[in-house]
Amino acid sequence: MTLSPQQARDLARRAVELTHADAAEALVSSEDGALTRFADNRIHQNVAEKDTGVSVRAVVGKRVGVASTNRLDDASLAACCDRAVAAARIAPEDPDFPGLPAPMPVQTPDRVDPSLAAFDAGARARAAAAIIEQSAERGFTAAGTVSATEYVVAVANSLGVDVGMGVSTVRSTVLSMNPAGGSGWASHLSGAADDFSPEALGDEAALIASRSEDAGSLDPGTYTVVLAPEAVSDVLDFMGYLGFGAKAFSEGTSFLTGKLGEMLLSPLVTIADDALTAETLGLTFDFEGMPKQRTVLVEGGVAREPVTDSYWAARLGLRNSGHALPAPNSYGPMPMNLEISAGDVRVEDMIASVERGVYVTRFHYVNVEDPVKAVLTGMTRDGTFMIENGKLTRPVKNLRFTQSAVEALNAVEAVGARRMLIGPEEGGANLAPALLLSKWEFTGQTR
Amino acid sequence: MRELVMRALEAAQTAGASYADARVVHTTEEHLSARNGLVDGIRAAESIGIGIRVIADGAWGFSATSILDAEEIVRTARQAVAIAKASALTLHAPIELSALGAYEDKWTGPCGIDPFTVSLEEKLGVLMAADAALRAEPAVKVSKGELDFLHVDKYFASTLGSYIEQSYWESGAGITAYAIADGEVLPRSYPNSHGGQAVQGGWETILALDLPGNAVRVAEEAAALVSAAACPATETTVIIDGSQIALQVHESVGHPTELDRVLGDEAAFAGTSFLTLGDLDTLRYGSEYVTITSDATIPGSLGTFAYDDEGVPAQRDFIITEGLFTGFQSSRESAPAIGRTSNGCMRADGWNRIPLVRMTTLSLEPGDWALADLIADTDDGIYFETNNSWSIDDRRLNFQFACEIGWEIKNGELGRMIKSPNYTGITPQFWNSCDAVCSRDHWQVWGLPNCGKGEPMQVAHVAHGAAPARFRNVQVGVGR
Repeated sequence: MTLSPQQARDLARRAVELTHADAAEALVSSEDGALTRFADNRIHQNVAEKDTGVSVRAVVGKRVGVASTNRLDDASLAACCDRAVAAARIAPEDPDFPGLPAPMPVQTPDRVDPSLAAFDAGARARAAAAIIEQSAERGFTAAGTVSATEYVVAVANSLGVDVGMGVSTVRSTVLSMNPAGGSGWASHLSGAADDFSPEALGDEAALIASRSEDAGSLDPGTYTVVLAPEAVSDVLDFMGYLGFGAKAFSEGTSFLTGKLGEMLLSPLVTIADDALTAETLGLTFDFEGMPKQRTVLVEGGVAREPVTDSYWAARLGLRNSGHALPAPNSYGPMPMNLEISAGDVRVEDMIASVERGVYVTRFHYVNVEDPVKAVLTGMTRDGTFMIENGKLTRPVKNLRFTQSAVEALNAVEAVGARRMLIGPEEGGANLAPALLLSKWEFTGQTR
Repeated sequence: MRELVMRALEAAQTAGASYADARVVHTTEEHLSARNGLVDGIRAAESIGIGIRVIADGAWGFSATSILDAEEIVRTARQAVAIAKASALTLHAPIELSALGAYEDKWTGPCGIDPFTVSLEEKLGVLMAADAALRAEPAVKVSKGELDFLHVDKYFASTLGSYIEQSYWESGAGITAYAIADGEVLPRSYPNSHGGQAVQGGWETILALDLPGNAVRVAEEAAALVSAAACPATETTVIIDGSQIALQVHESVGHPTELDRVLGDEAAFAGTSFLTLGDLDTLRYGSEYVTITSDATIPGSLGTFAYDDEGVPAQRDFIITEGLFTGFQSSRESAPAIGRTSNGCMRADGWNRIPLVRMTTLSLEPGDWALADLIADTDDGIYFETNNSWSIDDRRLNFQFACEIGWEIKNGELGRMIKSPNYTGITPQFWNSCDAVCSRDHWQVWGLPNCGKGEPMQVAHVAHGAAPARFRNVQVGVGR
C-alpha cells in the first residue's frame, strides 16, 4: 500500500519543519504499482514495486536548492533537508524568483477506486490471458501490458500550502500480430479495474490485425488523413511539450510566441488543459500545491494563453494556472491533462468523406525536427490503411511522416465526437478525438 | 547489505522459488544546470531499495521495495513468488537459463576525483563561466549548461551461489547555445547534444572537457547557423561525425540486435527487429568496412561493469564482423534460442526494475582513414555533425536523423555551412553503403545515458565507440 494522503501530507509537513531555511517546500510521492507484461501469447515479465520519496526545495533569499531521498528515517530525512539548504546557500540569486506560492483552495476529489484492491497478480494474469485468447484463437500473437498503479502526492510549504490526494490507474495495451504480416493495436486507461474489459480490448486489436495482412506500398506525398485518437494524442503531447508552456512562450521557441489572439489552427480546434473534469485522471493540484486551473490554450483556432507556474506567472504577469513540474524544472510549466474539444462527426463518417487518403491507428517514435513550427517526424504503426472512395480498403506498410503539428491542426476538417483517455503520463492523461486532416506529409516508407 | 540480499534469497526459496536473485542498489546523484546566466537547478538525490527476481512454477516474478527491513524483505520476496505463480497461468514452457558459474567478487570503476567531494562552488564556477562565454555572442538567445554526477553501489546475490559488489561513478557535462531568429531555433552543442558527454570517472573528466574554453566556438557556430544554407533535398555522399555515428549505431545496430526484441519481448512498446534468428552468420548487415563489437570491458565507458545484473561476467563479443552479422546481445533466458550462453548484456535501471537485454559499449570499430584525407577523397557531399533529432521504425529499418550542423563538401574540401541537415535511410542498405571509417586517432567512446526501453520504462546508461565514417547515395534534406 502507498501512504494515505494524510500520511503523505504529514510527511511533507515534517520535511518542511526540518528544513532550516527562509522558506521550504516538500513534495512527497508514494507509489504502489504492478505491471504484467505479455508477449508471444505468454506472460514474460511481471513486476511490482513500492516506493515513497521526499523532495525538498529550500529557499534562502532568492536562492534555491533541491534534494530528494527515499530514506525516510529521521536522520536521513534531516540530512536530505540539510543538503537542500546547503545547495540553496551556494546557488547564485535568481532576481526573478517570486518566493514560494501562498496557499490556494484546492479541490481534491477521491480518485482512488476501491476496485484496485482486488486487481492483484492473479486478476492481472487472468486479464492478460483473456486478451491473449482473442489473438490466439485467430492464430495471431499478442503482446502488451496490464497494469494497476496507485499513487499519492502531497505538497506542503512554509507558507501554509498543505495538500494531498491519491490517484489510481488501470492501463492496458495490446498489440496483436498477424503471422501473414501486419498488426493491430488497442489500449485502455481508466481509474478503476471494474470498467476494464480485457476480452473487448483483445478483440479490438486482433480485428485490426486481421485487416492488416499483406500490406502494400504507398508513394510518399501529401495525403488526406484520418488520425485515430492515439495518433492525435501523440501530436498533442508534442504540442504541449514544445509550445503550450510559458517558458517556451517567453523564450520564443513556442508556436504561441507572438500569436496570442491570432488564428493559429483550424476554427474547429479548441485545445484546453483540464485536470478537473470527471473524464480525466491525475492530480488536481500541481507540484507546488497550486490548484490546476482549466486553461484554454487554443479556442476555435485562436491562440489564447500558455500554462504557467508560480515562477513564470510572476515573471510574465500572467495568472498562475497551476502547471508546475517538480523542482528543479528546466522545462518550465507543462500541461498534463490536454484535451481537444469533441466534435460531432463519427469516424465512419470521416472515412466516408475521403476520396483518397490514409487512416492512421497510431504513431511510433515521434521526435522533433523544428520546435518553433513543431515539425515532427515519426512512423505509423499497427494499422495503417488506404481510404479509397469513402472506404477503408487495403493496408499499407508503415509510413514515415515529416510534418508540422501546427500546420496539421490548421488543416482539420472534422473532429470526432468520441474521445479516448490516453496516457500514460503519471499525473495526467490526454482526452483525444479522431481528426480528419486535409493535408499530412508522408516522406518515406519502411520495407 | 550481504545479509539483506541473502535473506531475500532464503525467503524466496522458502516460498517456492526454484531460482532467485536479489539486488540492493544505492544511488546518489547530483545535477546542476545553468540557463541564460542563472542557475536553473541544483538537485541532490538519493535512492535505495531491493529488487527480488524469482522463477516459481517455471515463470518469472519480480517485486521491489524501498523499505530495507527484514520483515518487508520477506514480504517482498513472497510477493515476487506469488507474482511468478500467477505468471504461470499462460506458461508455454518453463523458463530455462543458460549455464552460469558462481562468482564472489568486488569491482570498483575508475574515479580520479570523487565528484561528490568537489564543492558546489567549484562546479558552478565551471558551469557559469561556460554560460557567460555562450552569452557573449549576441545571436545566442538561450544558453544552457549542465553537470550530472552519479554514484552507484550495487550488491547482488543469486541462488547459484554468487555474491557480487560493484561500485562506480559517472560524470557528465554539456553546453548548448541556441540562436533563435526568423522562427527558427538553431542549437549548437559541446561536446555533444542532449546533455553532453558522460563517462565513468570523476571530476577530472569534466575538467578535461574544458567547457568554458569551447563555449566561444560553440556560440560562434550557433550564430553562423542563422545565415547558413538550408539542406538540399537530394541523394548524395555523407560523412558523419563520431558522435552522430554513435547514435546511428545505437538505433540501427544496437536495438535490432537485442535478442529479446528479436524474440518479441518488446513488441508492444519499443518494437521488434527486422532480424530473424536465421540471419545469424548469414546476413550481410553492412559493407566489409563495418565491424561492430559489444564490449563491457572498456575502462571509463558507461557500458562497463564486471558482471551484468544477472551475475554474468563482462565480455567482448562481435555483433558484425566485416559486414557479416555474427552475434546478438543476449541474456541467460534468450541465449539458448541461438544455442549460445549469455554474452552478459542484462542491465537494470535501479533496484525497482528487472534487468533487460541492454547495450554495453556497442562500437563501430575504427578503420584506417584520416578525416582530412576522407574529406579530400570526397568530390561532392555533406559532412554532418552532432545529433539534433532521431526517429526509427518499430523494426529498426526506416530511420531519420537530423543534425545541428553540416558543411557542403565540394571537390574534396569543406564548403558552405548547412543548418539543420537531416538524412534518412533503411538500415542494411545504409550500412552496406559505408565505404570508409576513420582511424583510431578519431575514435572515441560516446556516453549515451538516456536509452529508453521496457515497461515500466527503464533508462539505461550505454556507450558507443565511433569515428567519422562515409556513406554513399544517402537521401538528405527530407521535408526541407
